[in-house]
Amino acid sequence: MDNLQELLHGFTIAVTVPHLLLMAVGVLLGILVGVLPGLGAPNGVSLLLPLTFGMQPVSAIILLSSMYWGALFGGSVTSILFNIPGEPSSVATTFDGYPMARDGRPTTALATAFGSAAFGALIGVILITFLASWVAQVALAFGPPEYFAVYFLAFASFVGMGGAAPIKTVVALAIGFAIAAIGIDTVSGSVRLTMGIDELVKGVNFVVAVMGLFGIGELLVAVEEEFHARAVSSKIDWREVFRAVGRLPRHSVALLRSAAIGCWMGITPGGPTAASFMSYGIARRFSRRGRYFGTGEVEGIISPETADHAAGTSALLPMLSLGIPGSATAAVMMGGLMIWGLNPGPMLFVDQKDFVWGLIASMYVGNIVAVALVLLTVPVFAALMRIPFVVIAPLIVIICVVGAYSVSNSYLDVVMMLGFGIVGYLFKKLFYPLAPLVLAIVIGDKAEDAFRQSMLLSKGSLGIFFANKLVTCLIVGGIALLLLPLALQLTRLLRKPAPSADETTVQATVQETAREKVII
Amino acid sequence: MISRRALELATAILTGSFGVAVVVSSLDNGIGWSSAGVDAGTFPFLTGIIVVLGSLYNLVRGVRPVASLANVPIAITPLELRRLAGLFVPAAIFVAAIPLLGMYLASSLYVFAVLAIPRHQSVPRALAMAAVTALALYVVFERMFQVSLPHGALAAALGY
Repeated sequence: MDNLQELLHGFTIAVTVPHLLLMAVGVLLGILVGVLPGLGAPNGVSLLLPLTFGMQPVSAIILLSSMYWGALFGGSVTSILFNIPGEPSSVATTFDGYPMARDGRPTTALATAFGSAAFGALIGVILITFLASWVAQVALAFGPPEYFAVYFLAFASFVGMGGAAPIKTVVALAIGFAIAAIGIDTVSGSVRLTMGIDELVKGVNFVVAVMGLFGIGELLVAVEEEFHARAVSSKIDWREVFRAVGRLPRHSVALLRSAAIGCWMGITPGGPTAASFMSYGIARRFSRRGRYFGTGEVEGIISPETADHAAGTSALLPMLSLGIPGSATAAVMMGGLMIWGLNPGPMLFVDQKDFVWGLIASMYVGNIVAVALVLLTVPVFAALMRIPFVVIAPLIVIICVVGAYSVSNSYLDVVMMLGFGIVGYLFKKLFYPLAPLVLAIVIGDKAEDAFRQSMLLSKGSLGIFFANKLVTCLIVGGIALLLLPLALQLTRLLRKPAPSADETTVQATVQETAREKVII
Repeated sequence: MISRRALELATAILTGSFGVAVVVSSLDNGIGWSSAGVDAGTFPFLTGIIVVLGSLYNLVRGVRPVASLANVPIAITPLELRRLAGLFVPAAIFVAAIPLLGMYLASSLYVFAVLAIPRHQSVPRALAMAAVTALALYVVFERMFQVSLPHGALAAALGY
């Protein structure tokens, strides 16, 4: 039980007064960005990023990851109390959370959501505790072809399982790769794709893209609909909190199933949003009370919340052990790791034990801190929602502008950020996925390097990707995932009169619900 | 009013032209195999080709009307368009004004304008919020985090 020993050591790093304070600050800031529509976890984390440059990496990652937990929780608060999802991943929570709160049980809805969210996060962290170092150990033996194969598999799984239109995902991914290639090529040193703009030599920073895509883009989507904060009472009845949490074990099947879905979607880069929708769709299908979903069912809250947090947490597993983030926020954090001079991937588990295990231990503690703080501050943040949107919107614009500028003190970045805002709006409106785009910007260079190094090894033959069992499996798996949407479409065409296979219908209903309710 | 189809087309053309630009520009770096291994332009070239092909597919899909619940014909109603413009146009003017006015002046004018001109807030309150915004930016960035925000050409001309 080496892992447990390492974990205990991690606790000695995470549970110190300064780190607990950082967690509290991170969680509170996270709830703030989670509550505000138009600011999300990816934005919040990238805004904080420049402020962490002077910190110890382990302190910095504790701050950023705590912000992530806070944002995940904050998104649920507004979903339940105002029917306004503060985060894309908590859209599915509005389906049953808001009806329950409206029926006069806001405390029950909130406590159920937080309880199941904490459970999902716990399962995710346990998974990381036991699996991450093992995956890292396997990955230590990887050469460039294996790395490229893993990247390929990750990108292919976005296409195969992301839930968005496959070709739109491919376009988003490829655009991300092209953006990542802008600037100086790390292998040959030549300048690429600057299109005659000298300043582009430094490349396009992912923070700039995130500010525009998620900040301005989301704001533009949000402003289309008028927000009327139909406030449900936000008073917390503490006895009801414990009663609601006490009732959770009765739904253990839903809890475990949703956690499993969440972990799977988090590790394969499906992301929390897809996980929560999928979990909700499956729960509605398999629950005995499925037809009551949408009217304030307990399992309708448990399923998306558990999956959302399980996915959000386990998205850090591939980031830590392989250097491939499982969600947009994880991608931003990984960008941070690289800025702090750490090399995300299996070597972290060898060189940076304190960092890794401090982070993992902080996830246990951070989620407890998050649950406590979010319950305590619900009334405060609910009051924040009563500030009119017209006042909040310009402030968010200024935050994004300053955030983009402060990355490298460049005005061009601000202009690009605004451009990314338009792209983000169009993409959201037309269901192009944004997470693969950000992911490709962050790890595009690494994927390209892995490809070129493999080609150098094999002197230009693609055969190197089929040279041994492992790499062949990964590549074949990736190709299978790429072809999955095509295969599903073919089977649907062939069996048109009969209802298609279970999975596709679930997927379809999930997508339908996703589209019926406007994705913010 | 903007139809879903028009929006799909516009986006596909946007992504497609980006793809073409990437392809053309990557040809300068050389594609294929040289003594140093894979040429620098190869990878961007391939991604550019994928973007172009994918955009063409989306273009065709966008033209062909698909009757289903998910494909509502109208993407943006006139009212929504007005709201969008109401947010984006001032934001764009704000960004355009930064080099001249500097971050502080531009942001406080921006806050004042969007709050006071459509009469969302009274003039004194909007003024107060504008002042607080600039002050908060100054304290947080210039003082606490030592990040110098642009002061603008106007400030430079006045000798600051």
